[in-house]
Amino acid sequence: MTIRRVLALAALGLLALSACGEDDGGGRDALQGSRPGGSIRIGTVGPDEYDPVLYQTIPAAQALQPVYTGLLTFRHVEGAAGAHVVPGLAEKVPEPTDGGKSYEFRLRDGLKYSDGSPVRASDFENTIKRLLKLAGPYSSFLTGIVGAAEFQENGDFGADIPGIETNNRTGEIRITLTEPDTKLEFALAEPYTAPTPAAKSPPRSLNKEPPPGVGPYKIEVVDPNREFVLTRNRHFDVPGIPKGNLDKITGVVMDSIPRMTQDVIKGELDFMTEDPAGDLLPLVRQRYQDRFREDPNPPNTYYFFLNVTIPPFDSQLAREAVNYALDSRALVRVFGGRLQPSCNFLPPGVVGYEELDCKYGDPNGGADLEKARELVERSGYEGEEVTVWTSSGDPWEAIGDYYRDVLAQIGFEARMKALDQQLFFELTGLRRTKAQTGFTSWLQDFPHPGDFFEPLLGADALKAEPTLNNGFVNDPHIEEALDALRGEDPERAAGEWAELDDYVVNEKAYVAPYGNEKTSTFFSERMDFENCSGVHPVWKNDWILFCLKE
Amino acid sequence: MEERLDSVLPEGVETAVRSDALEETAEREHVAGVGPWRLAARRLRRDRIAMGFGMVFLVLVVICLAAPTWATDVAHTGPLKNHLTDTVVVDGERKDVVSLDGVPIGPTWQGEFFLGADTNGRDTAVRLLYGGRNSLEIGVLAALITTVLAVWAGLLAGYARGFTDAVISRSLDVIWAYPVALLAIALGTALSLQGLQIGPIEISGESKLIPILIIAVVYVPYMARPLRGQVLALRERDFVEAARAQGAGPVRIMLTEILPNLSSTIVVFFPLMVANAILLEAALGFLGVGVRAPEPSWGNMIGDGVKHILTGPHLAIVPGIMLVATVLALNVFGDGVRDAFDPRARIHLEH
Repeated sequence: MTIRRVLALAALGLLALSACGEDDGGGRDALQGSRPGGSIRIGTVGPDEYDPVLYQTIPAAQALQPVYTGLLTFRHVEGAAGAHVVPGLAEKVPEPTDGGKSYEFRLRDGLKYSDGSPVRASDFENTIKRLLKLAGPYSSFLTGIVGAAEFQENGDFGADIPGIETNNRTGEIRITLTEPDTKLEFALAEPYTAPTPAAKSPPRSLNKEPPPGVGPYKIEVVDPNREFVLTRNRHFDVPGIPKGNLDKITGVVMDSIPRMTQDVIKGELDFMTEDPAGDLLPLVRQRYQDRFREDPNPPNTYYFFLNVTIPPFDSQLAREAVNYALDSRALVRVFGGRLQPSCNFLPPGVVGYEELDCKYGDPNGGADLEKARELVERSGYEGEEVTVWTSSGDPWEAIGDYYRDVLAQIGFEARMKALDQQLFFELTGLRRTKAQTGFTSWLQDFPHPGDFFEPLLGADALKAEPTLNNGFVNDPHIEEALDALRGEDPERAAGEWAELDDYVVNEKAYVAPYGNEKTSTFFSERMDFENCSGVHPVWKNDWILFCLKE
Repeated sequence: MEERLDSVLPEGVETAVRSDALEETAEREHVAGVGPWRLAARRLRRDRIAMGFGMVFLVLVVICLAAPTWATDVAHTGPLKNHLTDTVVVDGERKDVVSLDGVPIGPTWQGEFFLGADTNGRDTAVRLLYGGRNSLEIGVLAALITTVLAVWAGLLAGYARGFTDAVISRSLDVIWAYPVALLAIALGTALSLQGLQIGPIEISGESKLIPILIIAVVYVPYMARPLRGQVLALRERDFVEAARAQGAGPVRIMLTEILPNLSSTIVVFFPLMVANAILLEAALGFLGVGVRAPEPSWGNMIGDGVKHILTGPHLAIVPGIMLVATVLALNVFGDGVRDAFDPRARIHLEH
């Protein structure tokens, strides 16, 4: 961890303390200079899905987490403290028993969904069954539950998952794992495991009519591609979780990030889920310092996926060639200066991160194109046609074109395919698409190194369609390491996670990482930037914490 | 944006026989013995404005055709080559092609990066010329395909009448019913994703053939319908009856008797069709469903440039100027051609 990053995290922590004090209780007192209530408009490229078990992107997580509270949740405070898991719908965070394989929860009394119906323990099992049945992008985090993998394979929604026992009378939920897995408590703090009423949550996509949840807000999807609205949930009263400051949050879905930026500048939007467009970034940095900040939150990793199952990247030499050929200095420019070059797969700020002794040269230095060309030649794939898949958004298309140019320089016949963001994620995650390589990135879901390795490089992730393991990596060594580390406290096993990082990058070149992005928070003048920026290590910005100036 | 190629040629007899009209005009102008084509050429040469704009178009074509020479010998780069970390010496000072915060260099007015660079450090001037080649290539090829399809559709429908006419005309009506741009965008979005497969022929989604075919197809009714009207009139003429009496079959009559009489209409339509095709391609490129990135076209260059209008206004303005110049030149020249071939015709474009 660099000194700069330590200072940044410390500053964030201080800011969080000063802004929120001890108030992570049930309500939130109006902060000095801010006022409760009011409504805001948020510009966003849109949740990829409004169904809580099917979403994948950060804008979706931001919009859904105020609506769907899990058995556990992350603290709704700014800064590093927001990474701590606290009780959500459950009375407390349980200590695992049976050698780390069993977790027992009890629902709080009197919980109600936003439609007024009571929360039942069996609703939780229904949520997990939907997640598995619909093969949601995060389903791999739950396949460690006894019987979950079989349930997913059999496809019978009426079947029972033996590893989830519920008692609607007492509100008890017992989860039994096949192997200890410390990620479970983090996964149970995410919206995709949040209970929704079984009667209103059938095993199909509820994208247009998401089910009721338990959260400070309820959601109404006016048009999935245009607008959604969060309004206060009058049934919500969970100690320890703030009720939110704003009365209404309107999400305005738009593709154009420059327009989004201009709208925030003009005050027509109050916040944007995306980072200001590269073109406008210098202007925003310079003129709107009082309502703009850049943070290394949430920890993220940017890399090119390499499909190891088809040519040319079934050859390790070809994969190494890509790593040698990347010049992060070029990508820093594409990111408008917001990229911190790195050759680690794990990002700084995540347990297990240790700056790699990078085999492919200094990540802050130039590329070794000669070495890369030599490796491509040795791989036998010189002249091979390679299609670079990327999203058509800004700067993804520019990143894709840079990458295409690099591949062309080292001996491939490179082309580029730029797709709409939603299509891009869907298609590159399907095996039949045969996407050879392309842009991808990952922002931390929860503060656990397994959150990076398992969905992006784990064999279990391949069961989901589309999978996030775009490289279709299925390596016994990785599986063995993941099996061993699942039950370990990540802090105590940090060294092993670092070794796995080294294996993935230096030994096998399964991915071609190039850095970590600093994300930004940009508010309109109406918003209380000083007290309520809502910068959060898990959700990037926690909308529950947003507030307006007095 | 709604474009409509509106030919208001009546489907009656008097507009059908353009060669007759030209001959009558020739008689009025006391130039007996001069053929209609030569007469039209003579009129066109006298129309200095049309010829001037025709020359502008030719110059633009030549400039765009010279793209490889400029790229190789002057700019020393290609249209797809990124120069993100490179530097260039301008007025004795070494400058980043793209600054650390992602702002590209503006026009240098020298060989390398004459018109500056884009955000990937690609030479704008080189991309502009290659983009022009792509735009012109698509415009001309699409117009050619439209012409071939429209002539066949018009000939078959007009000559065969009855069931054949009904099938062809209703099919054209279906296309006609959609606004050109919307139909093209819908087709472009669908085909750019999965490409096109017609029997054994497979066209990838990134191929330039996709926008060419889309543009060609959506414009067919706008040309085929007036041609059908002319054919309906021509097939009743005496010379067609005479050919039929001599035992000529339908195909021969269509090709040797009717088609030559459609030629002046086709010639008048063609430059206007090219202009419209270039414009539609630009619209598709702007929306990301025309020529696929990273291949340049004026449309997608404008689309990319708009995203960076504050820090690099040249990125959108320069291809915009080239597009306007080309379409304007083609339209004015096309009007001149129309006036030369048939001053009474009212074939025109509405944008």
